[in-house]
Amino acid sequence: MSKAKPLLFVDVPRQDPNKKPARERVVEFGEIYGQFNPQSAATQAGRCLHCGNPYCEWKCPVHNYIPNWLQLIAEGNLFEAAEMSHRTNSLPEVCGRVCPQDRLCEGDCTLNDGFGAVTIGAVEKYITDEALKAGWRPDLSAVTPTGKRVAIVGAGPAGLGCADILARNGVKPVVFDRYSQIGGLLTFGIPPFKLEKEVIQTRREIMEGMGVEFRLGVEIGRDLAFQQLLDQYDAVFLGMGTYTFMKGGFPGEGLSGVHDALPYLISNVNRLLGLERDPHEFVDMQNQRVVVLGGGDTAMDCNRTAIRQGAASVTCAYRRDEANMPGSRREVANAKEEGVRFLWNRQPIEIVGDERVEGVKVCATRLGAADARGRRTPEVVPGSEEIIPADRVIIAFGFQPSPAPWFADFGIAVDDRGRVRATPVSARKFQTANPKVFAGGDMVRGSDLVVTAIFEGREAAEGILDYLEV
Amino acid sequence: MQQTRNAAGLYRPEFERDSCGFGLIAQMDNRPSHWLVQTSIDALARLTHRGAIAADGKSGDGCGLLMRKPDAFLRQAAAGAGIKLGEHYGVGMVFLNRDPAMAEAARAELQAELERQGLAVAGWRAVPVNPDACGEESRESLPDIVQIFVNSPAGMLPEVFERHLFVARRRASQRIQARDPVYYAPSLSSRLISYKGLVMPANLPVFYPDLGDERLESSICLFHQRFSTNTLPQWRLAQPFRYLAHNGEINTIGGNRNWAEARSYTFSSRLLPDMAEIRPLVNMTGSDSSSLDNMLEVLVMGGMDLFRAMRLLIPPAWQNVEHMDPDLRAFYEYNSMHLEPWDGPAGIVLTDGRYAGCVLDRNGLRPARYVITEDRHITIASEIGVYDYAPEQVVAKGRMKPGEMLAVDVETGRLLTPADIDNDLKSRHPYRHWLRGNVQRLRSLYREEPEGELLAPDSLDTYQKLFGVTFEERDQVLRVLAEAGQEAVGSMGDDTPFAVLSARPRSVYDYFRQQFAQVTNPPIDPLREAVVMSLETCLGAECNLFEENPSYAPRLTANSPVLTEGRYRALLANPDGRYPHRIVDLNYPVDEGLQVAIERICAEAVAAAREGVVLLVLSDCPIAQDRLPIHALLATGAVHHRLVRDGLRCDINLVVHTATARDPHHIAALLGYGATLVHPYLAYDLLRDLLRSGEIVNRDYPTLVENYRKGISKGLYKIISKMGISTINSYRGAQLFEIVGLGDEVVDLCFKDTTSRIQGAGFGDLEADQAELARRAWKRRLPIEPGGLLKYMHGGEYHAYNPDVVQTLQQAVASGDYADYRTFAQLVNERPVATLRDLLRLKPATQPIPLDEVESIETILPRFDSAGMSLGALSPEAHETLAEAMNRLGGRSNSGEGGEDPARYGTVKMSKIKQVASGRFGVTPAYLVNAEVLQIKVAQGAKPGEGGQLPGDKVDATIARLRFSRPGVALISPPPHHDIYSIEDLAQLIFDLKQVNPQALVSVKLVAEAGVGTIAAGVAKAYADLITISGYDGGTGASPLTSVKYAGSPWELGLSETHQTLRRNNLRDKVRLQTDGGLKTGLDVVKAAILGAESFGFGTGPMVALGCKYLRICHLNNCATGVATQNKVLRLNHYRGTADKVANYFKFIAREVRELMASLGVRRFEELIGRTELLESLPGATDKHRGLDLAPILSDAGLAADRPRFCLEPRNVPFDRGELAERMVRDCLPAITAKAGGEFSYALKNIHRSIGARLSGEIARRHGDLGMESAPIKLRLTGTAGQSFGVWNAGGLHLYLEGDANDYVGKGMAGGKLVIHPPANSRFDGHRTPIIGNTCLYGATGGTLYAAGTAGERFAVRNSGVLAVVEGVGDHGCEYMTGGVVVVLGETGVNFGAGMTGGFAFVLDEHNAFVDRYNHELIDIHRIATENMEPQRNYLLALIEDYVAETGSVWGQAILDDFRYYASRTWLVKPKAAELESLLETLREAA
Ligand SMILES: Cc1cc2nc3c(=O)[nH]c(=O)nc-3n(C[C@H](O)[C@H](O)[C@H](O)COP(=O)(O)O)c2cc1C
Ligand code: SF4
Ligand code: SF4
Ligand code: F3S
Repeated sequence: MSKAKPLLFVDVPRQDPNKKPARERVVEFGEIYGQFNPQSAATQAGRCLHCGNPYCEWKCPVHNYIPNWLQLIAEGNLFEAAEMSHRTNSLPEVCGRVCPQDRLCEGDCTLNDGFGAVTIGAVEKYITDEALKAGWRPDLSAVTPTGKRVAIVGAGPAGLGCADILARNGVKPVVFDRYSQIGGLLTFGIPPFKLEKEVIQTRREIMEGMGVEFRLGVEIGRDLAFQQLLDQYDAVFLGMGTYTFMKGGFPGEGLSGVHDALPYLISNVNRLLGLERDPHEFVDMQNQRVVVLGGGDTAMDCNRTAIRQGAASVTCAYRRDEANMPGSRREVANAKEEGVRFLWNRQPIEIVGDERVEGVKVCATRLGAADARGRRTPEVVPGSEEIIPADRVIIAFGFQPSPAPWFADFGIAVDDRGRVRATPVSARKFQTANPKVFAGGDMVRGSDLVVTAIFEGREAAEGILDYLEV
Repeated sequence: MQQTRNAAGLYRPEFERDSCGFGLIAQMDNRPSHWLVQTSIDALARLTHRGAIAADGKSGDGCGLLMRKPDAFLRQAAAGAGIKLGEHYGVGMVFLNRDPAMAEAARAELQAELERQGLAVAGWRAVPVNPDACGEESRESLPDIVQIFVNSPAGMLPEVFERHLFVARRRASQRIQARDPVYYAPSLSSRLISYKGLVMPANLPVFYPDLGDERLESSICLFHQRFSTNTLPQWRLAQPFRYLAHNGEINTIGGNRNWAEARSYTFSSRLLPDMAEIRPLVNMTGSDSSSLDNMLEVLVMGGMDLFRAMRLLIPPAWQNVEHMDPDLRAFYEYNSMHLEPWDGPAGIVLTDGRYAGCVLDRNGLRPARYVITEDRHITIASEIGVYDYAPEQVVAKGRMKPGEMLAVDVETGRLLTPADIDNDLKSRHPYRHWLRGNVQRLRSLYREEPEGELLAPDSLDTYQKLFGVTFEERDQVLRVLAEAGQEAVGSMGDDTPFAVLSARPRSVYDYFRQQFAQVTNPPIDPLREAVVMSLETCLGAECNLFEENPSYAPRLTANSPVLTEGRYRALLANPDGRYPHRIVDLNYPVDEGLQVAIERICAEAVAAAREGVVLLVLSDCPIAQDRLPIHALLATGAVHHRLVRDGLRCDINLVVHTATARDPHHIAALLGYGATLVHPYLAYDLLRDLLRSGEIVNRDYPTLVENYRKGISKGLYKIISKMGISTINSYRGAQLFEIVGLGDEVVDLCFKDTTSRIQGAGFGDLEADQAELARRAWKRRLPIEPGGLLKYMHGGEYHAYNPDVVQTLQQAVASGDYADYRTFAQLVNERPVATLRDLLRLKPATQPIPLDEVESIETILPRFDSAGMSLGALSPEAHETLAEAMNRLGGRSNSGEGGEDPARYGTVKMSKIKQVASGRFGVTPAYLVNAEVLQIKVAQGAKPGEGGQLPGDKVDATIARLRFSRPGVALISPPPHHDIYSIEDLAQLIFDLKQVNPQALVSVKLVAEAGVGTIAAGVAKAYADLITISGYDGGTGASPLTSVKYAGSPWELGLSETHQTLRRNNLRDKVRLQTDGGLKTGLDVVKAAILGAESFGFGTGPMVALGCKYLRICHLNNCATGVATQNKVLRLNHYRGTADKVANYFKFIAREVRELMASLGVRRFEELIGRTELLESLPGATDKHRGLDLAPILSDAGLAADRPRFCLEPRNVPFDRGELAERMVRDCLPAITAKAGGEFSYALKNIHRSIGARLSGEIARRHGDLGMESAPIKLRLTGTAGQSFGVWNAGGLHLYLEGDANDYVGKGMAGGKLVIHPPANSRFDGHRTPIIGNTCLYGATGGTLYAAGTAGERFAVRNSGVLAVVEGVGDHGCEYMTGGVVVVLGETGVNFGAGMTGGFAFVLDEHNAFVDRYNHELIDIHRIATENMEPQRNYLLALIEDYVAETGSVWGQAILDDFRYYASRTWLVKPKAAELESLLETLREAA
């Protein structure tokens, strides 16, 4: 039952934290959203109806207790809100920043239908950011160590979620990652204007304070044999993500000036974080006419990164219409504000050029009838070919699992698409064909979201605890 | 699945209820006459409408006489039988088995017992009977009726003789009835004799020729006419009993019986030394009235006089009546510790042969009027006018007031007024002096609420986890109690699984369903009638009732059974050394096992009691990791029953110190199972923690404690009042719950005698649940659970209306695609077990049929109604859309209890079902004639026993106008219909409705509850056409959370029990049965049909189709979907509902039903109804599921298959055809049709009921409520009007009555005029004499009432527009009045103006008593003598002038003659919220 004024949601519109003007944003890589102050956070949180069916929570992949922490914030109870927020989410400050709320919690918020959804993401970010600033930290003083140790491969959101739950239950998590910093794609994939890297650094300190041990710069299977993990640890969790990027399958992908999305984004992060080993690794879009192919969040990140690098123009071509883009609408809006030009219903046929890219040939599409899952398939419009001039083309069609070659050696089964088989409803959640090995995140689901990776990591940890009989 | 002991279905004999008309006639100078007997019989016949007639049309539920011994007649009869009588003799009426051997054995046994008492049997006489006077059913059960004559030994005192007769009869009955259920001795006395039987009153003297014999003379005769909720009657249950005849119901009978058993060990009387021989003191089976009679007899035989005995059993309200005489209060206070009230509606006439008297319950829930005539006969009866006396013969008329006792002593000729009786009782001993210094209040034993030792946060977490506290409960239950001092309000029903069905550990309290009063007894309004209620609790060992002395005075008292830390510590400190305590630890070693542990603590309790312990503390604190707590409720019930069984209960007070109890339901359950006091220690720890965490701010701890305790008290008042109980002392040990889901092993050890019909969880299951909680509790790292019981939470309890279900349904109704509906239906039909029906499966047919052979959707759709959902709860747009959709489908929409805009009448937006609920909102004659069905809402699943609730924010100008109330003022309907306090009252309301709208069918809405089947049988006998059985889980717009969660039972039980009981009673073919509550899919419909329903109500489902997303904030006026709000922005901009969506939903359901019928091989829907063989039970998924036995639900109750299974009669026609009313219509119809007006004359008797309703209906149908006002029809009437004179009176109908009237005068009137005055040649003092009965002007909206005399209780309750002048009123005058003007030219009773929010009143207060009489909460009073009150005085003067002109009132004229004086003694009463200036405006407009 709502403690605030019942009709606040009518009287007070949705109000996001201040967003930096596009003019300022395009010349830097910092986060574009400001932060609520306590009053604005309380007011916006107070708009929540405390629905009998909290559709927000139902839709959120980690099923956050959203109305509950909104209420705590509406009443100014920051530390209790932070505690509550961490009951379900290991990285609330991250999800608040990167979740596509408009198709998750906020998209399903009751108020999204005509009133403006509650600013769930912004409040979620506010809670942890401000609580940490005020000195809040997870309190594990009541946790009794069990003596058990679990190896976690991959310091991405899946691995971090798993480590969180294990630590809170007295099991020592040791997290390996081949990168020099934790976060996985949080650090190296997601651009800083969505997620500043200090956020991840702070989380590292918090987790180390919880007893999580990080061993970075170690690639399992190259620097350390997987068998050693099996031997030295009571269980192993795999959160290695997906890295085989999808190709378009049309002529010209091999031309100079055509880049894959992730290496491009990673090179930018390495430049910004001072992790660049060789300046040649950096891909610079300054003064270039850039065409990005794809409609997901990765495509948006590429669009907006190129803008900030000073591209002459950035055009995003997608084969469906705007309504059917898989990415977050908010991200599309931000990209438009920052100067990205969108061409809907365009399907690439060929990247044209002679050794170097000169343009992208596309044809128009229209959406056909909906299939059984309600998704409408684009159909090519004959005789509609055109060429979009381009100096650079970024392929952002998503990723596929890249199963390690040694999986088979240890009885870790994958499906025909390379995803590791580890089901959420098995006797022990997210256990693989090898009973001692658990897995979750992108490598199990295929390329998905930070929040789904966190969820699976946490659930897998519960499975591990059952396995360890803790 | 286990098998229960009762393979005979869900019905239990103990579910039977009864009520009736009653009375007595006495010749005050002990001059016996046959006239008196004959007149009593005639009076019985005049009360036929208060009795019931069996399905055979001739058997009555029972009627009879109890008379002072007709000595002359009996001596002649004995002589005729060859019996020699001595100087003193007794005579007994005996029912013998028709089997000669049985009869002979019984005679021998009775004779032996009499001889054992030293008495000589003079002989037996066969009583002449005429079986032709019986109906078929009563002939079947007709016993052999004989009289036994017993001579008294010479020199034996009459009282001693009576006692010997009593003991002999009791002992013989115990022996005989063990093998012969027919045997019964209606009377055996030297002073009284009883003639009773299962015949109609008119046939009583036909059946018993003795009664027609002119030689049979008596000076005292009690009479009674019974209305039972069951037509399997027993001769023994006919009344009067041996001392009394009772109209009403003892709600606390279970507790009263157990306490009587417990006290039988402390009872000691020189006169009855061998109490053990006659135990049990009261019968544990049979009617509540017979137990009351037993108890009275025991008390009297033990030496207590009739008056004290009666006042102890049925005391007036005394705890909160401010103006009560201190000595009288002391009398009641002294005795209250030693005997709890037998609580419930009670009108009782009683006699011991010398005294004849009458008593009413403390709240005046039954009517009793008396008349004393010149020939010194006093007649007291349910109604005035039960025989024809000449007006000039009347010396006095009066009425019994709440809590009063009146008697006549025929041996001295003295009339004992209530004041006489009170003065006698209070003067017997210096009670006040005795109590002085001996009564300590617990609160006075300490000074400040101690902060106590704050549990460390992680330790507190362990307690919370161990005892099931969640974040949700902390935030939404405890915090609200502590901050607001009352329970949280929520919306919608309980869509979670029943405790036994849940896959999660659930509180033991969740297995208990609160019982509530519906129809056969009324709930009480704890908001407006709190003056009769009390939570006061008394501590100390009970003492012998039969002795009164100062040593029995010491005690500790508390103003509530809920202890605070301070009170708890003070108690254990053993003040005075009188209260030694023993703490019994409820935490047991894990390996001991739960059942063994319970038995062990029972043994410990017994040992403590034997050692002289007075306070036994059952405590689950401290906790330990190697132990599990016995749940406090299991422990309390087991210990209570054990102590009762061992005769030690009265020596002990049970104090429960527990973490399990936190909300009012928990505490009520503990009290209901015998706890004296409860200390909910964890709740207090949690309040401290809420302060620590900052969830509660700006409050200090002591304030939170008091608020919490106040909130719990309000909750307790609500819980006991929903069962019609006034005092917590009566509630204690009464076990007013149905258990759903506990196995017999648990019930037998802990909750003996509680209704539990389908088994369920055993000790192993309960222990496993607790162990699971303990496992989590002791893992310090784990947080407390978030919750999910009140609202959906992922990973929490299953919710039937979860987001998937809501979204898929909304998708389907929007698309109109049946495939989308199938997705929705699959989610519902294949869900985890959540309801009892999920454990029942359709048996696949051996021969399914093609779909095209099944009857069409069009024939199925009319079986669907939208359930009653008030305009107010819903937005007008949603309300109208629903009506339009249902009308298009051929079903019926239900207006709900908020009225309906007349602009909708006759359009596609009209609701065909008009609801008549306790608030009577919008109920006018025009409303009632614009209906196909009139539904009397007795109860609603989300909050049975309580009234509907509409928060003030939702009462905008439109809603206020339609409901005849005030904008912005919250509307909480009274829990009872104030015109239904008994089954025969319901019969009257049904008659009222059939009179105003003869074309309409009358429906009665009940909620599933143990015994609802017998209530339904009574409702059918009251001539209802339809009965709705709602499940506990139905939706609502606003309700306290514990009401939603804990009251009412599943419709699977209620519907099945009702179907079984109606069939047993040959009533099923007379009524159409409907069910509602959580119905969602075609499978739900088919299962309900198989269990007996032929019609189906949908509330929440179609709401979701309209766009409701189950936000559960309906009560906040901020429903974002525009469905449940009056906010204009939300309605106009955000409401998306359409009639098409609702229509799609119902068509989908009908289509699914057809498909299921095809799969069952069933062509017509009727082939489904009641065919329980089409269902089979499933094992379910958990051990608790497997412990359930659903066989009673599926039982055919042992009845032949060819008995009707559904309604065959087009309507259920009342026995009373209302011939006079029909004649009035024939006479007046031309004048109505022509709108011509006219004048007509008729003579009335008390049997002429609802006079004016029939005419009002005809007027309203043609001209609306007020269209006839310019051309009125005037009826000149003489005599005594029966009940409901002027009910639903329409504008333009003027009824002038010279005489008097019974109850409900002007009920629901909308216009016109009612003028009542005494006969011109009256000899009594008019302004002190009742001229109209109780509950007059209930729900009236307009018109004028002038009554030259006094009115009874609850005058003008819920009046919203009538101008009324009377010369005095009883208790609760102007209760919940929202408009109109009431002038009382004489005394008022107590609690005047309770809940009054509109209108105003003038009260003449000659003796300055009014200040102590009115309810101060919402009204203030002003003298009108001051200068600035001239407009008010002028208005009043003009009003009285008109009143005198119309009535000829002598008193009115006297007031006019000395108006300045009387004006100076007059108060203007107005709501505090109203301005005097605005009243002036109203006055000017009215003038
Ligand atoms: C918003 C709302 C208002 C209601 N108002 C009334 C009412 O005025 N009178 C009544 O008897 N029942 C009322 N009810 C209860 C329904 O008549 C019905 O018993 C119940 O909703 C059926 O269960 P269901 O909601 O699960 O379908 C209301 C229910 C809801 C949801
Ligand atoms: S985790 Fe993502 S989906 Fe869930 S509440 Fe936070 S922002 Fe919304
Ligand atoms: S759906 Fe929106 S309004 Fe409802 S509880 Fe969630 S945040 Fe609050
Ligand atoms: S539950 Fe009530 S608040 Fe609105 S969405 Fe449904 S009507």
